[in-house]
Amino acid sequence: MSGSGTLSVSMWQRLQRINPFEFASWIYGLVFFVFLYSPLVMITVLSFNDSRLTGFPLKGFTTKWYEAVFASQPLLSALANSIYVGLASAAIATTLALLMALAFRHDFWGKRIVLYLILMPIILPGIIGGIVLLIFFGYLGIRPSLFTTVLVGHVNWVLPFAFLTLYPRLHKFDRSLEEAAMDLGARTSQVFWEIVFPIVRPSVIATAIFAFSLSFDEFIRTIFTVGSDRTIPVQFYVLIVEELSPELPAMAVIIILLTTVVSLLGFAYMRRADRSNSA
Amino acid sequence: MKTSTGQDSGRQDTASVKPVGRPFWLLTPGLLWLMAFMILPVLFMVAVSFWNSGYYGTRPDFTFKSYIRIFQSPLYVGQLIKTLRIGLEATALSLLISYPIAFIISQAKGGAKALLILMLFLPFWASYVVRAFVWLPILGRNGAINSALMAVGVIDQPLDWLLYNEGSVLLGLVYVYTLFMALPIYMSLEKIDPKLIEAATDLGARPFRVFWEVLLPLSMPGVASGCIMVFLLTMSAYVTPQLLGGPQGIMIGNIIASQFLSSNDWAFGSALSVILIIVVMLLFLGIGRKTKVEQIFTGGG
Repeated sequence: MSGSGTLSVSMWQRLQRINPFEFASWIYGLVFFVFLYSPLVMITVLSFNDSRLTGFPLKGFTTKWYEAVFASQPLLSALANSIYVGLASAAIATTLALLMALAFRHDFWGKRIVLYLILMPIILPGIIGGIVLLIFFGYLGIRPSLFTTVLVGHVNWVLPFAFLTLYPRLHKFDRSLEEAAMDLGARTSQVFWEIVFPIVRPSVIATAIFAFSLSFDEFIRTIFTVGSDRTIPVQFYVLIVEELSPELPAMAVIIILLTTVVSLLGFAYMRRADRSNSA
Repeated sequence: MKTSTGQDSGRQDTASVKPVGRPFWLLTPGLLWLMAFMILPVLFMVAVSFWNSGYYGTRPDFTFKSYIRIFQSPLYVGQLIKTLRIGLEATALSLLISYPIAFIISQAKGGAKALLILMLFLPFWASYVVRAFVWLPILGRNGAINSALMAVGVIDQPLDWLLYNEGSVLLGLVYVYTLFMALPIYMSLEKIDPKLIEAATDLGARPFRVFWEVLLPLSMPGVASGCIMVFLLTMSAYVTPQLLGGPQGIMIGNIIASQFLSSNDWAFGSALSVILIIVVMLLFLGIGRKTKVEQIFTGGG
């Protein structure tokens, strides 16, 4: 008796607490996320569809498109290319950004202009970021390829993001150890390698992962500078416009999974870095 | 920069010891990179836009031929205006759908908030070529919408107007770029002190008035950076109109690209690019007076 009494009272209280505003929020959130996710769910379903035509109706379950993706030599070499360029541009961009972020802890003349310069590759429309390199290297006589033009384009693109990720994290860490070491007469390289770098290392690694994933996904700058080489996004695009190939949905799912795993890794690392920094 | 150094409490300000390294040497590698591979190529393109394209390729010259051709033909000016219009429409639509979700996430607590943020991020981590592509099997002849409508019996022939027009480009752009709107708005809503809302409510303001007079003005930096980001990205859109636009949905980015990828008219393509850069720069200068540029990319902070 008393048990059912308290239950109905608490339910009543709950019902009273749900206001129309909260209800509307729930509905809106639901609609928004359905809009965001249903195309991705649908492409996953289509990737298992036993039909040469990407689309409906569903004709049966098959994993043959995935097998085709993993058996395709061009796709595997595009994957390798994307990984190489991603690693190289993450390493270069993170190093340059780290040095500049260290410089930004000082006051110096022209700081604002330098900042605009660093941000320029994001302000410049992406398509132009690719075209300027196509023209420039074209007239220099450097053949467009993965480790010349594409790498340069990716470093340009990734550099401002790496800087914007590193700068606030370098700015707020506790400087007492660094100051103590300098007071005690440690050399610059010692202070950097033995004090500063170990403190900021988690942020640097997180930035490098983030940089890798930006490079891995880059398309618009790459398409103008890639020549006859292929990266994953370029290969995917070429398969869409040239033949609307039936393994596209499976390839899309694999790309989504790959980039999600890498980005989640970066995200988790960044949270850990921020936590250990603020603790 | 001044504000960020000012925030770092007394310790840094009173410190007599400067941070490690000399700014000049720390900046040199990065600045050399940007000079060689960013500034120089852009200046070179500006120069090429005054060159002469002929049957034997693009040759050094000083002529306004390309610019005159752009402004004499209604086609290119029209395309530029159309791109500006689509950019504005996509920005407005993104703002409309992103503000509520940013607000909802900012009101959520603890684990639910972390989960919602992750759910917002996840789809945007997939390459945007993939995110534009997924609309083909939704809007296409044998796509999800047509086959659903045919299965229900509303239509007996697939609708052709779902794809390859301005509307499908707009939808694709909003889908591809909405995170860049939602994120800065969320970040600026997050920074608002809940006490302000409490105070307004205690003083008898109705929810709508609290929103209109407290939340909205205080979240304007986020709205501004979101709008700039989305507008900027749509102005140079290439993949989305290329895949979903067809002849009707083409934008200036596609016209620029075709000068380099098919018609090989580098001088003309460079001139079009210079005009696109000028439009974007004017936008930045206009907004840059009100907000700091770096805030645009760090979410109006």
